[in-house]
Amino acid sequence: MSGMRTRTRLSVVITAASLSACALRGPLPPGAPPAGPLPSGTAQPGSPTPEQPPPAAPERPAAPAPRQFHLGPAASALVTQAHTQAGGGDYGQAAATLERALRIEPDNPLLWIELGRVQLSGNNAAQADAMGHKALALATTDAGAQSAAWRLIADSLRSRGRNPEAAEADGRAGSLAPR
Amino acid sequence: MTRQFEGRRWTLPAQVFAAPLELYTGLALSPTQLEQELQRLHYRRAEQLDRPGTYRLQGARFDVALRPARFADETRNAALLSIVAGPQGLESLRDSAGLEVPVLRLEPLLIGSIFPIHGEDRIIVTPQEVPSLLPAALKAVEDRKFDSHHGVDPVGMLRALWVNVRARQIEQGASTLTQQLVRSYFLNSRQTLSRKVREAIMAVALDAHFTKADLMNAYINEIFLGQDGDRAIHGFGLASQFYFGKPLAELDLSEVALLVAVVRGPSYYDPRRHPERVRLRRDLVLKVMADQGIVTAREASAAAHQPLGVSGRPAGAYYPAYLDFVRRTLRRDYHDQDLTEAGLRIYTSLEPRAQEQAEQALEHELTRLDRLHKHAPAPLEGAVVVTSPQSGDVIAIVGGRNVGYDGFDRALDAHRSMGSLVKPFIYLTALESGHYNAATVVQDAPVDVKLVNGKHWRPENFTHQTYGPVPVVRALAESLNLATVSVGLDVGLPKVAQTLQRLGLPQPPAQVPAMLLGAVEATPLEAAQLFNGLANGGFRNPLRAVRALISTDGKPLKAFPLEVTQVASPEVVYQLDRMLVQVMDRGTGRSARALLPASLLVAGKSGTSSDYRDSWFAGFSGSHLVVVWVGYDDNEPTGLTGSAGALPVWAHVMAGLGTNSWEAPMPDNLAEVRIEYPTGLRVAPGCSDDIVAVAVPAEAVLPAKPGCSLPDNANPLTTILDRAQQWLRGLVH
Repeated sequence: MSGMRTRTRLSVVITAASLSACALRGPLPPGAPPAGPLPSGTAQPGSPTPEQPPPAAPERPAAPAPRQFHLGPAASALVTQAHTQAGGGDYGQAAATLERALRIEPDNPLLWIELGRVQLSGNNAAQADAMGHKALALATTDAGAQSAAWRLIADSLRSRGRNPEAAEADGRAGSLAPR
Repeated sequence: MTRQFEGRRWTLPAQVFAAPLELYTGLALSPTQLEQELQRLHYRRAEQLDRPGTYRLQGARFDVALRPARFADETRNAALLSIVAGPQGLESLRDSAGLEVPVLRLEPLLIGSIFPIHGEDRIIVTPQEVPSLLPAALKAVEDRKFDSHHGVDPVGMLRALWVNVRARQIEQGASTLTQQLVRSYFLNSRQTLSRKVREAIMAVALDAHFTKADLMNAYINEIFLGQDGDRAIHGFGLASQFYFGKPLAELDLSEVALLVAVVRGPSYYDPRRHPERVRLRRDLVLKVMADQGIVTAREASAAAHQPLGVSGRPAGAYYPAYLDFVRRTLRRDYHDQDLTEAGLRIYTSLEPRAQEQAEQALEHELTRLDRLHKHAPAPLEGAVVVTSPQSGDVIAIVGGRNVGYDGFDRALDAHRSMGSLVKPFIYLTALESGHYNAATVVQDAPVDVKLVNGKHWRPENFTHQTYGPVPVVRALAESLNLATVSVGLDVGLPKVAQTLQRLGLPQPPAQVPAMLLGAVEATPLEAAQLFNGLANGGFRNPLRAVRALISTDGKPLKAFPLEVTQVASPEVVYQLDRMLVQVMDRGTGRSARALLPASLLVAGKSGTSSDYRDSWFAGFSGSHLVVVWVGYDDNEPTGLTGSAGALPVWAHVMAGLGTNSWEAPMPDNLAEVRIEYPTGLRVAPGCSDDIVAVAVPAEAVLPAKPGCSLPDNANPLTTILDRAQQWLRGLVH
């Protein structure tokens, strides 16, 4: 079942024109030029001859405008329900409820972090760690969500006694969103 | 004997349910699709919402009287729900008090059951779930003295004998309901006098031990009411699902009368095979009911004017290939007896709409392809697997063209050469080595490998041409064999084999050079597992059909929770996936474009094994992965490439899913660059007619095209308008 994202291509153009981050997230539509602003590259100061330009490193797209993830109403209601279930110690049910939310918003890093937290409570640190990394891969433009993902990873490492790695993960979390 | 009966030890086959449809505001479901989903669950459109299982339409608003439902994790009582469905999707959901409902599930569709080899299938009903008309009708037609006799009815037997002698054929059954129950439950059906005597004695004994209500309930759950291949339909609960696709409690007068008509001879009165014969008997049952004062003559006459109402396809027409996967999943942990006798409830990920799409697309396209190849020795076969990549849910499996046939399941059992489906994993290995990116120029030139047996391996391109220096993105998009072999030999066969296993190939591939061109066997389901990792950003999740297993009294027995394991870095997988998008745009997947919505971004790869024996296509959007295999069961050549055979099936399945574009976020340490497609040289817009955008590591240094000035600080607005214009041109083109 398709989710809530019924964005049309036209809206991609519009968002590109408004320099919103959304246009930077996805790949190009077929036959389209690259999305994202193209600032100057790292062209050498010494003027290259037009015939033989030097090899150039690719430009990074300008830092995308931060996109903050949030939960839609359906996912939000399910997260609330999962919190109640986890609060009662029923981690299996809480995980099942969060899976319902993830089927609605599979690309939302906040839900992967929620599920990772439940896994950690249920003593499944390896899954918590993997879900933290899954969240990280989805949260590229949201420093807050990235930070929360690193904290989850840190906690999962700590629960397995891997304290130096946990401290490093905590450090990353802190640099993204100071507590 | 009474003790055996007291235990009510009916074997209760496990019931298997599809994924429930989650309804929420914003769900992309049109009013027509919503109505189809309700009708799939046999909700009846009505003016009055007088009972669960009905709905009414008021403009764009659906008022639905929801049935009580049991899910894996909770039960829900009957409830009223108002859904406003607009063209863009669901606009609001409200309960009977008018309060907004954030999310709600329709009940899961019963898609089958796991019954034992000897084939008794049933759904047990309690007396509360039985419409009161049913026992009344059974008594009126089969056993008028049921409430007063002692298990046998000597007068009735004599009367039946007299009627039968006069008519010279069996017109009236001589057995009481209790005797029929005894016959069905304890005895085989051989007609002998001694058996008749034993049956009578046992019926009297049962009658002495049990209340009439108990016996009636036992009868309703026991009696044989139809045959579906190997599956014997027992009890009115299952018969109601089998013939009408809805719960027994929801049957109306004409439907109850039809089932009562079938009791007398489920084969002779098979409503699907002999509708006219059944109609006559149903109307006779209605007349008897009116004569006995159970219903009025008007009600009986109105019911007699109704059509039989039997569903075309037996309910739970069963998705044998999917159930096969369910059964195999559970056999690892459960004995057959647990599954066939213990009344388990199995909740699966099957999405009926996707399943039907996949079945229809396969049959439609194979029929078309068969017409093009008139001299073919046999009809083509095929298989389809559809997953939700992020959850690892398998939402549809088609095991062959004959979808109702519980036979050879190609999706699970056809081990076929992957052909070029293996190429993405070679390039994944190459990207991981750090020596390659999408713009790296590789040589598509003759290859000659001396094998250990002294022979030479000299592969060729599909076109029997060589293409010289080409960038990796083009080598993959156009599935160039020679370029790929040279990359694969460079990174090494053990590395490639290890990548395949890491992504989920269960058996280690033979490390021979031909592996690089797809001499690796995989089933369609295994291929789906491999590509699922690419669709899920480098995370592997075990593909699963079963979500949870619940005992007959509602206790959770086993869950198959979502699990992810990172098996490749998101950076590397993103770079590869961007190249697989180019397969669809410029390469071997481009003919799918015409069949897909213009705005839908997908990624994929074709596969053709040697001599055209296997035609594959595997590809994904943002929310679905579809793998298609087409070929002959005897492994004869089909003459079809992956693009000609499997791709059109794939495109039809994908187009019908209502799927989202692939739009994974680009990892921070990658950059998007434009290169010239034929040469791989870095270019600026306008400096080449053939530009492709690829993702490469941010620190990668790419040679630029001579004479092409790379973009400097352009006016951002001009750039954007320029790009928008180019993009629109691309769209029109």
